[in-house]
Amino acid sequence: MTPSAEPTPEPLAVLIVDDHSIFRSGLRAELDASLSVLGEAATVDEAIDLVTRLQPRVVLLDVHLPGGRGGGGAEVIREAATHAPHTLFLALSVSDAADDVVSVIRAGARGYITKSASGAEVSDAARRVAGGDAVFSPRLAGFVLDAFGAVAGETAQTDEELDRLSARETEVMRLIARGYSYKEVATTLFIATKTVETHVSNVLRKLQLSSRHELTAWALERKLL
Amino acid sequence: MRTERITRPRLRLLGGVCAGFADHTGLPVTTVRVATMLLSLCGGAGVLLYAWLWATTPSTVAPTAAEPLPKSSLARAVSPAASRATDVSSGSARMKPDAPGIPDLALRAPAADAQLARAAPVTEILLGLALLAAGIALVASRLGANIPLAVVVPGIVVLAGTALAWRQFADVRSGAAQQSSALAVRTLGALVLVAVGILLFFVTGDSPNVWTVILAAASVLLAVIVVIAPWVLRLWSDLADERAAREREAERAEIAAHLHDSVLQTLALIQQKAGPHSEAARLARAQERELREWLFTGSSGGTTDLATELRRIASAIEADFTVHFEVVSAGVLPGEAPRPLVAAAREAMLNAARHAGGPVSVYLEIGRRGLELSVTDRGPGFARDTVPEDRLGVRESIIGRMRRAGGTAVVRSGPGGTGTEILLTLPPIPNESPAPLGDPHPQETSLP
Repeated sequence: MTPSAEPTPEPLAVLIVDDHSIFRSGLRAELDASLSVLGEAATVDEAIDLVTRLQPRVVLLDVHLPGGRGGGGAEVIREAATHAPHTLFLALSVSDAADDVVSVIRAGARGYITKSASGAEVSDAARRVAGGDAVFSPRLAGFVLDAFGAVAGETAQTDEELDRLSARETEVMRLIARGYSYKEVATTLFIATKTVETHVSNVLRKLQLSSRHELTAWALERKLL
Repeated sequence: MRTERITRPRLRLLGGVCAGFADHTGLPVTTVRVATMLLSLCGGAGVLLYAWLWATTPSTVAPTAAEPLPKSSLARAVSPAASRATDVSSGSARMKPDAPGIPDLALRAPAADAQLARAAPVTEILLGLALLAAGIALVASRLGANIPLAVVVPGIVVLAGTALAWRQFADVRSGAAQQSSALAVRTLGALVLVAVGILLFFVTGDSPNVWTVILAAASVLLAVIVVIAPWVLRLWSDLADERAAREREAERAEIAAHLHDSVLQTLALIQQKAGPHSEAARLARAQERELREWLFTGSSGGTTDLATELRRIASAIEADFTVHFEVVSAGVLPGEAPRPLVAAAREAMLNAARHAGGPVSVYLEIGRRGLELSVTDRGPGFARDTVPEDRLGVRESIIGRMRRAGGTAVVRSGPGGTGTEILLTLPPIPNESPAPLGDPHPQETSLP
């Protein structure tokens, strides 16, 4: 992912939630200057408490967390969202299994990146989430294409349809899955970067709201719903 | 044995127990069902057995959890338990020698062959005893002794029946008797003999008193035990196996959770700290991939054999070049991946590693449009025309291969004019998914 948003003049207030202190301090040191870390949390309960108290703009949230009722990152989002309406969540996962990621996305996270991403990449993703964009990794895009039946040739006929992707969204997802940045997607499809971001946000909304059988069955199986 | 554990198939009549059992032992389903029915008449023993099996055996989906672990060097190094697991489940050694709670001494035999060697004399001894008894009775009666034939004849019959039942048990255990008809005949013979023995007790009992009745009841009980003993013992050992497998699985899950939380995190951190092109990052990535492969085998949803194959290729190449592959797949490939495609993909990935390095995206899509595989790198890029003819890399090994497989290969500039993108495509397989518009070419993916 290449930077697509210019650094905001005011430092972006972020909270790091991860159960490993080594990872937290490592990430903290790596984040660039435009981000200011308000605090760190290691468990679900700590995270909910800190988010409620500090009201950070973006929470860098690990998917697997101890504590709480065992719901991990998804539980943090569900519990904290009501107390911190302006806080956005970016999921960080060491697991590249899409299953892990979709649980936090469906709980309300605005994006997902892997933990092997560099500090610059995490900073950029956090800025993009703060700017209202959704952050999609290639793997998440691949999962979306699969889960929404896009590879099987299903396309949404109207914008309101939540269970299928539109032809354009499919195109965008396919290019993201190929590892293209938003800008490269825009150039390839001859559309504005802003339009790409809109498409991605729409897909994220569908991912969160869709009652599509595969997603719900999958979620039910893991007791997420 | 064909299956490692008894499992109940999805396609079932009632609970799938009989079908699963039949599949497990190689007996015809009908035989098992009839036997179950017969056993049900024996004071409800069959019903009890059925219920017990139904409660203790998993459905067919479960075996994936107990599949043999991948033979990666890490799996070998990390866990001797893992290799033991594969040995135990491979079927050569059906039982853990040290499995606790197994009552019969024959079950402690470590291997099926030893088991057979040990069990065979029992048959011979029993048959010999029967013959001996018959001979003695004959000689004695010739000599004019008052032989109670009413007791001796049924006794001989019971001994023979027991021997046959034992023999069948041994065969079942060793898996030698795959001809189910012979097995059925033997089982039937044993049953008939035992029944005759019991009947004789009844018929020849000239003075029906308390002792005759008790004896008859005991005989019936004994007969039932003799007939079902092999099965019960077998089920017992299977249960022990299953319990052991479950324990191993739990242990592995625990290890996985621990490694997931600590080692993977650390490896991720090293990659982050060391910079994407450094040697440390490369090593950490290779280890991470290997560990991941071991931890999450069979649990990553939506992956196909082809995607797994691509990941394997990726980790192999990453070991030699400072490159990081991100392999993403969507859709599932019906059937096996065509070899030429895998070879071409490998060549394309190798090409990206050699000439570009750094992050390389591999995206595989299998859908209505056919199969599409792209390898996108961020290197300096190259035009195909400038590649000298003698460098066969792209021209022959990628484009030629794909053409022969009935597909296409395109080499073009990457997104935004940076890097290279190699796009491999195969047309959809006609009999899968509704045929797409106008695809006149016959399927050529399967080479002779």
